[in-house]
Amino acid sequence: MNVNDFKNKYIPSEFLEFNPRLYAFIIMLIVGLSAFLIFPVKEISGYIDPFYSPTIFILPFVGLYRLTCYAYRKDYNRHIFKHPIGCDLKNRLDSMKRTYTGETSGLFKIENLHRYFLYVSILIVPFFYYDFYTSLFINNIFVFRLGSVLLLVNAIFITLYVLSCHSLRSLIGGRKDCYSCMSYGAGIKNLYDKQSWLNKHHEQLAWISLVFIIFVDLYLRGLTAGMPLDITFLKL
Amino acid sequence: MTNKKVKFKIYRKDPKISNDYRYDEFDVPMEEGMVVLDGVNYIVEHYDSTISVRWNCKAARCGSCAAEINGYPKLMCKTRVEQMGDVITVNPMKAFPLVKDLVTDVSINFEIDKKIPEFTPKNMGKKPWTIYDIDVNRAQEFRKCIECFLCQDTCHVVRDHNTKYIGPRHVIKAAALDMHPMDVLDRSESLTKDMGLGYCNVTKCCEEVCPEHIKITDNAIIPEKERAADNMYDPIMMLIKKLKNKSNRDKK
Repeated sequence: MNVNDFKNKYIPSEFLEFNPRLYAFIIMLIVGLSAFLIFPVKEISGYIDPFYSPTIFILPFVGLYRLTCYAYRKDYNRHIFKHPIGCDLKNRLDSMKRTYTGETSGLFKIENLHRYFLYVSILIVPFFYYDFYTSLFINNIFVFRLGSVLLLVNAIFITLYVLSCHSLRSLIGGRKDCYSCMSYGAGIKNLYDKQSWLNKHHEQLAWISLVFIIFVDLYLRGLTAGMPLDITFLKL
Repeated sequence: MTNKKVKFKIYRKDPKISNDYRYDEFDVPMEEGMVVLDGVNYIVEHYDSTISVRWNCKAARCGSCAAEINGYPKLMCKTRVEQMGDVITVNPMKAFPLVKDLVTDVSINFEIDKKIPEFTPKNMGKKPWTIYDIDVNRAQEFRKCIECFLCQDTCHVVRDHNTKYIGPRHVIKAAALDMHPMDVLDRSESLTKDMGLGYCNVTKCCEEVCPEHIKITDNAIIPEKERAADNMYDPIMMLIKKLKNKSNRDKK
């Protein structure tokens, strides 16, 4: 296989276009990931940073879950790759002149395996609740602090984000055609309908959970830097 | 009637005569509750009866008056003039061949429809069949489609790229059939292999412009992509399906 064949097969044309938005995104990713590795904040005052829970090495899987997520696909296809940037026909910045392969070529084909990153994410979610639980005790003394509230809210947002996933929607009943023909069909359809309601908010949850986890990380980094941010509500 | 006037810029072209196009401008008196189609009809009646425009029900039910209004795909009969500013530019849908002025030839959609494998019921004995609400209420949403083809017009894959993607309108048709409890086919694989489903990058413009507010991407395209992943990309699911099919064959 020569270089051109390799390029055509595995590298989508979007990566070969001059695109400052893409370069900025890649630089942000590299800077962010390097910062996590160079300046780790694993634990401070009994709080475990959610980015390091259970380990920083899980981050690539979580990152791939978000990168292959249908909600983020819409956002980066619009705002990074400009395919198209918006539905307003005057300003969409897409044209016949640009090569386009969608999700059919090499690297973007991985999006079809979103469900595997979902499975990993489901396994990770309980760790956030465990971190909240452990943050409630310092030297076997129960303390309820602002940091614990933030860890709990973060865990809830991430849970809702993961549970509202389109792949999960398919998994729990979306792929079925006849609920009345199955055992527990009514229950499955009920569960599917409930998840579908949550799924309507998937995009909002994707962004809220991302912003909030970054906020919690910054909060804990603030504590590490000695800022008096934490408030104790109850100590027993 | 108010004294306010709105400027309409109407796209004019007759491909049978010339490839040149122009915009003709008209001042139209604004009335309360007026829609863009009222304005265009006013122009045809009072200024220029040679303008070609297709419309039928004027109630957002037939989908005939689909156009690009100020650069956004909309139904002319459902777009209030007062919400569109002082200058309203009306273009035909650019994803389809132009017949004349605001009229396009959308017949290609009826050809694409024929590619979708038709409803194939399992042998369910005597008709009429008993069909339960919980089995069909998902696909009811897709029945709301009025075939205005605004989603096809706004889809950047259909409009800007020469691929085999059939477009959102047709994926919802395939999804409605796939989700039918009596249907035995799974169209997701042929949608992906032969009808270019993989070219859709879920940017949801089709959902944004749909006058019936059908959740085209969330409820039809993504479920079909997930079904295609079951059949073509997910090794575990493929193995499970294979074993299930084998066990069904053995039982027979």
